[in-house]
Amino acid sequence: MLSNSAEPVYLDYAATTPVDPQVAEAMSEYLTVGGTFANPASIHAAGRQSAAAVERAREQLADLLSASPHELIWTSGATESVNLGIIGAARFRSDRGKHLITMPTEHKAVTDTFRALEREGFEVTYLMPDTNGLLALDEFEAAIRDDTQLVSVMHVNNETGIIQNIQRIGECCRQRDILLHVDAAQSVGKLPTDLSLLPVDLLSLTAHKFYGPKGIGALYMADRPGCHVLPLFHGGGQERGLRPGTLPVHQIVGLGAAASLARSRQVEDLVHLQGLEARLWSGIGNIPGILRNGSETKSFPGILSVSIEGIEGESLMLALEPLCVGSGSACNSRNSESSTVLRALGRDDALAQSAVRFSFGRDTTNDEIDLAIGCYADAINHLRAISPQHTRTA
Amino acid sequence: MSTAALTNPYSELVKRYFANPVHAGQLPDEYNNAVVGEAAESATGARVILYAVVDRDTVRMLRYQVYGCPHLIAAAEAFCDEAEGQPVATLLELDVPGLMGKLTIPVEKTGRVLLLEDAAKALHIKLTGTIHTED
Repeated sequence: MLSNSAEPVYLDYAATTPVDPQVAEAMSEYLTVGGTFANPASIHAAGRQSAAAVERAREQLADLLSASPHELIWTSGATESVNLGIIGAARFRSDRGKHLITMPTEHKAVTDTFRALEREGFEVTYLMPDTNGLLALDEFEAAIRDDTQLVSVMHVNNETGIIQNIQRIGECCRQRDILLHVDAAQSVGKLPTDLSLLPVDLLSLTAHKFYGPKGIGALYMADRPGCHVLPLFHGGGQERGLRPGTLPVHQIVGLGAAASLARSRQVEDLVHLQGLEARLWSGIGNIPGILRNGSETKSFPGILSVSIEGIEGESLMLALEPLCVGSGSACNSRNSESSTVLRALGRDDALAQSAVRFSFGRDTTNDEIDLAIGCYADAINHLRAISPQHTRTA
Repeated sequence: MSTAALTNPYSELVKRYFANPVHAGQLPDEYNNAVVGEAAESATGARVILYAVVDRDTVRMLRYQVYGCPHLIAAAEAFCDEAEGQPVATLLELDVPGLMGKLTIPVEKTGRVLLLEDAAKALHIKLTGTIHTED
């Protein structure tokens, strides 16, 4: 018998993180009368104060990324950044060529954007990962054509935590004057991201993955020849006309504060995550039939994805309550189709649907990990007692 | 899918049956005369096996094994709970719409409950061909 009476335990930090109290406090000064609520586009004193806050946040984010503030464009989040970066750059360079490269294991924000470009007449090559989930560099180089203009590869996979070799991919692109866009929604603020060293041209991020508010993100656009985007929206002229619309000052201030906090805590946070991941895997890794989705050595330690033989995914999610965990990608967890990412790793449909993504954060405790270990083991025992895949004679 | 189904896809009754599946599992070894009815769906991998022990024309014990979603597990549990102690003919009287209504199973899961109905029919066919008794 399962016990579902306990309070929820949140282990879904890859879906979103709570706003850090320091971030929320910083934001609260930019909302109400008495605070700095004015439109930053206004030229009066209050507007200038708001504009100063926006630029201060831009500097905070630039510091986190080792970028220049003028290389950052505010957006509503990673999805919009991805759309602006990929569509904007593809259209900007369409007179040079219309061939683009990405992977089917990217987030839907990326793959659906490429599908939209295909409908505009662009040609897209989707490269399958190797069995470790990584882009095979020899296959990547072979796929590059004279008319290839843009490549998009994510830094950390949102389902498995697998880390792509952005340095090497970027070097390949630079040698051929191809733009590289990186979806860094899962890595910015968590893994060191030094854009003064990485050969990246466009990079998308969102605040809510690193303890900032939802509804604000940014696109990094390197200040180098040939790297530019055409706007998707029109009117207002904000963000140099590349992303017009009244800037949400409180959201931007929140992103800046979250970036500052991430920069000061990055090593401490990473060590904490490594400890939590090791504790969880040591607790569940010996359950018969369990499989780790992704590499132990080339994965972000804040995400641990596992599949299990003979267990149906939807029932597993209910049996795991009160754990709040991901079932494949959080963004498509209501979709019963099994994960493209996990199938690319060689998992069959049943194993892909049994996948559980545990993701941890700054506030996750060892006690919560121990509770998760107990819940997962109980859930597996419960469902195996029901399932014909595990009969007494099997 | 309704808003309620999105925010809470499982009724309290489904959750209760799912958490306390007292009819789940095979019959104990001493019931080696149990009759088995099975149905499976290749597209989703869902599978239902019903095990019955019949005494004269009465279903004395009914157990199930399910590989499937919580709705299917709850439906199997509810069905076994109701059919145990009833005449064998009850196996053919599974009221799919009634069971779905009782458990508040969403319409898109109808196929899963029909799988249970198929297993019950398969069991009935075997039972009416060879009715086993405990002695």
